[in-house]
Amino acid sequence: MSTGSKIDVLNLRDESVRTLHFAWIAFFLTFVVWFNHAPLLAYIRDSFEITDPQIKALLILNVALTIPARIVVGIFVDRFGPRAVYTGLLVAAGLLTLAFALADSFPQLALARLALGFVGAGFVIGIRLVGEWFPARQVGLAEGIYGGWGNFGSAAAALSLPTVALLFGGENGWRWAAASTGVAALLFAGLFYRSVRNTPKGSTYFKPRKTGGLEVTSRRDFYFYVAMNVPMYLALAVLAWKLSPTGVGLLPLWATQGIYAGLVALFVFHVSQIYRVNADMLRDGVPKIYRYPFKQVAILDVAYFATFGSELAVVSVLPLYFLDTFAGLDPVTAGVFASGFACMNLVARPAGGWLSDRLGRKRTLTVLILGLIVGYVTLGQVTADWPIILAVAATMSCSLFVQAGEGAVFAVVPLVRRRMTGQIAGMTGAYGNVGAVVYLTVLSFVGYSTFFLVIAASAFVVLAAVQFLDEPEGHTVEVREDGTVELIEVA
Amino acid sequence: MTAEAHLVSSAFHLEGRLELTAGQVSSPGRRSTNEDCMGLRIPDEPTRTMKGVAAVIADGVSSAAAGREASEICVQSFLSDYYSTPETWSVKHAAGVVLTALNRWLYSCSSGVDEAHRGHVSTFSAVVFKSQTAHVLHVGDSRVYRLRDGVLEQLTRDHATQISETECYLSRAMGMDVSLEVDYRPVDVRPRDVFFLTTDGVHDWLLHEQMQEILENGLTARAPFDAICRTLMHRASEAGSDDNLTCQVLRIDDLAPPEAEDLRRDLGRLPLPPPLEPGMRIDGYRVEREIHASSRSQVYLVTDLDTGRRLAMKTPSVYFEDDPAYLERFVMEPWIGGRVDHPCVVQIADADRPKTFLYYLMDYVEGQTLASWRAERDHVPVREAIDLVAQVADGLQAFVRREMLHQDVKPANIMVDGDGRVRIVDFGSCWVAGIREIAAPIERDIALGTAQYAAPEARLGDTAGTRSEMFSLAAVAYELLTGTPPFGDAIESVRTTRDFETLEYRPASERDPLIPTWLDRALQKALAPRPEDRYREFPAFVHDLRHPNPQLGRLWRQSDAERDEVRRWQGIAGGLLAGLVAALVALALG
Repeated sequence: MSTGSKIDVLNLRDESVRTLHFAWIAFFLTFVVWFNHAPLLAYIRDSFEITDPQIKALLILNVALTIPARIVVGIFVDRFGPRAVYTGLLVAAGLLTLAFALADSFPQLALARLALGFVGAGFVIGIRLVGEWFPARQVGLAEGIYGGWGNFGSAAAALSLPTVALLFGGENGWRWAAASTGVAALLFAGLFYRSVRNTPKGSTYFKPRKTGGLEVTSRRDFYFYVAMNVPMYLALAVLAWKLSPTGVGLLPLWATQGIYAGLVALFVFHVSQIYRVNADMLRDGVPKIYRYPFKQVAILDVAYFATFGSELAVVSVLPLYFLDTFAGLDPVTAGVFASGFACMNLVARPAGGWLSDRLGRKRTLTVLILGLIVGYVTLGQVTADWPIILAVAATMSCSLFVQAGEGAVFAVVPLVRRRMTGQIAGMTGAYGNVGAVVYLTVLSFVGYSTFFLVIAASAFVVLAAVQFLDEPEGHTVEVREDGTVELIEVA
Repeated sequence: MTAEAHLVSSAFHLEGRLELTAGQVSSPGRRSTNEDCMGLRIPDEPTRTMKGVAAVIADGVSSAAAGREASEICVQSFLSDYYSTPETWSVKHAAGVVLTALNRWLYSCSSGVDEAHRGHVSTFSAVVFKSQTAHVLHVGDSRVYRLRDGVLEQLTRDHATQISETECYLSRAMGMDVSLEVDYRPVDVRPRDVFFLTTDGVHDWLLHEQMQEILENGLTARAPFDAICRTLMHRASEAGSDDNLTCQVLRIDDLAPPEAEDLRRDLGRLPLPPPLEPGMRIDGYRVEREIHASSRSQVYLVTDLDTGRRLAMKTPSVYFEDDPAYLERFVMEPWIGGRVDHPCVVQIADADRPKTFLYYLMDYVEGQTLASWRAERDHVPVREAIDLVAQVADGLQAFVRREMLHQDVKPANIMVDGDGRVRIVDFGSCWVAGIREIAAPIERDIALGTAQYAAPEARLGDTAGTRSEMFSLAAVAYELLTGTPPFGDAIESVRTTRDFETLEYRPASERDPLIPTWLDRALQKALAPRPEDRYREFPAFVHDLRHPNPQLGRLWRQSDAERDEVRRWQGIAGGLLAGLVAALVALALG
């Protein structure tokens, strides 16, 4: 019997390991589908003769619905369980990709990309699934594998899809390439449904407790929390405005106004949900020992905004960026170069967590975000005169800090309030998406250089915020030479 | 309870505050003998939290020869017997058991041949204050009142029949009949509530308003409670009372469940142990290997370095370190286990040794779970399977006797050793009546059991009972016999009672021709979707597993007939539909 925090990923006879593999492959495929447009944009631009603003609108649309979708998917997982929801999401991903591949006008493309935003919300499903299958000492590692390997999907898409498009060849090559990812998702959906169980056989169930919002522990934090939700709605409102007649004109005025009204209604509903969860607290207060500062959550949110948000934004545009910046590149090479950014996920994300465990939470985040700033400032300086290899090296070293930063954020998430890890992780993740929408919206106004510099500037604000992070305290345990386990208080 | 001897785990975290002031006086009045009796017990912690504070008053019926003896027996036996009942019992259950026995005894005294001991009849009124509730128990015409916010309310109803202006007979009393009906009424308690118990020598002679006035005046004057009692009795005497006079006054001074902060401090007093590796030592136990780990807990095989004894150590999952509901359950596990002393239930083995981490120890059962035991076999002889089930039923019966439910009976929670002896393990989902009554400032977890084995009402979060355990036991029996749980995977996706009723029972005898069909009838009855259709008691089920029960045969055939009828109507409806379609097609073509 194995002990220790190791997982033998090759032991396929172990049902939990098999489940982990199914989970990360499912997540991987959703990421491939979610970003299958990025490396194909050059072809799409040619075959539709669409304008640059329209291209950028497509990029934003792709990440927009993910914000509300996370909430919906969370509710679905509560109700139907991870197996059914992941299967459903994969089927949706497959069908929507086929729709995208068959689109013959810009509005159809836009609609498909908007709907595909839903596919980006797969992360939480697998987190739940893996949490049910692994005991405490392995769950951190298992979720790391799940997230890290799954996120690699966007790199895989960038690496492979241009080649696939080329193999099929012709004007419709990109359609075949995109469709192939959809078919893969559909096939895997069936396999996933047949092979995965929600919980290990014979798990004991307990009645789920309050859901629908994060529990905060003081009146001030309640308002703080409500305020922290506003940017998510603002991001969506900005998007609606972008699509309105004032922007790219994809939506008529009445529809835009309808969306505004809908967002206001949704916000009111959301606040009422938050109030419902916290009503007891607002009435009776919370004993001191139960309290936690919501500030910690907010700081992690903005840190993820800058790290994961910028990653999603950059991954969407990088292939096109290389093509547009450096003359004489073909889409295949551009895709390969661009994949360097997301490739770093495999090592950088776990490394960030590892550093955070050893060097301290605040220090690690500070250093990594500083690195991120330097990285994006550097990317902002890249011009067509640079040797392309140097530009690729710059993107890769920048992504090292970005993804290590993500790892460092998620190393702190379980320490804020262990009992609410899931909810806090959910909110942090949503902020990552808000970041993507915001950055891509910025890109729709400015050029690539300014885009990178804006990310760097926003990261400065995050850097300041991180300085307010309280180092989480706790116990650590020491094992003496004779094996005796002893407790050491950590100040 | 022999288990008490080696038991050190306690439910310290539940201890709240319950402070009372009390006064009580009893006097023969104008009579020569006092046939009234009263008693009060305010125990120290932890008994005050687990069993509560009890005040009892009894009025031996003066027409009965041994009225005085009867009232004394009532008060004294109740107080000593009630506090001897298991801590796991609810007040209602404990008082019911004690009073039933007491009544039988008084009745047998009454019907004895010895003339001198005839007529052991007495009224009985008691209040047990436990946590936030006052449990009022009552037979006869003594009374319990409550004074709250200037309102004096009589909480009991006299069991007396008025024959004429002057004559009145008790219609119910202790020792009057072989069967006894006790009025039970739980009422909520608030600080500053005053409870007031009297016998008819007092309350028959004073008006309701008079009593309230005397009580209120005494309380405002801060008179000693005994003095208030005396004033009441004096006034009743003045009014003409010629009976014995007894009253008790109790005021709730302070009442609070444990503060959330205290609870958390108590539950978090010990840190959670880290994941343990073989060779590590904790408090003098050496870890040998991990036996089992799930997302909620770990179980390790450890050796006690002092005695060399091998034990199983259960540790909580570190993922619940700030979840008070989980920690409460974990802390209660050894408490519960220590209170079920039965050879078919694993024994808690916590030594009297200070702990530096949160964990508990159990006897190590050398063997395997029934789940893996069954998985190793293609076929299990019917007799062997039934013998195992009978042992599990015995163990579950031990829980029921303590007014507890295991709530997670499944093959993985049953260990079987090399000799075929069974041990029920895992008290993590247990429901304990006596604990449920004690308020806690946290939202407690509600166990829903395991999909394949939990009864519909348990799965859906409704009130579970012995018959829910029956369902799980029968599911285990079915699986032991056939190798698969009774309803397959379908049961996992059901969400409503209706869904449960549509599940089809596949007879075990269809899966294995060696299983007699009459066994299926017993299994199917125990697996009925509605609890009221199942067996009430474990022994009846086990008996029907061992002997064909012809009574069940009829039920079985009946349901077969019903199914045939459904099929017939389905056939008719199908035929009609086909005809309709044909007609439409004909119309369309024509």
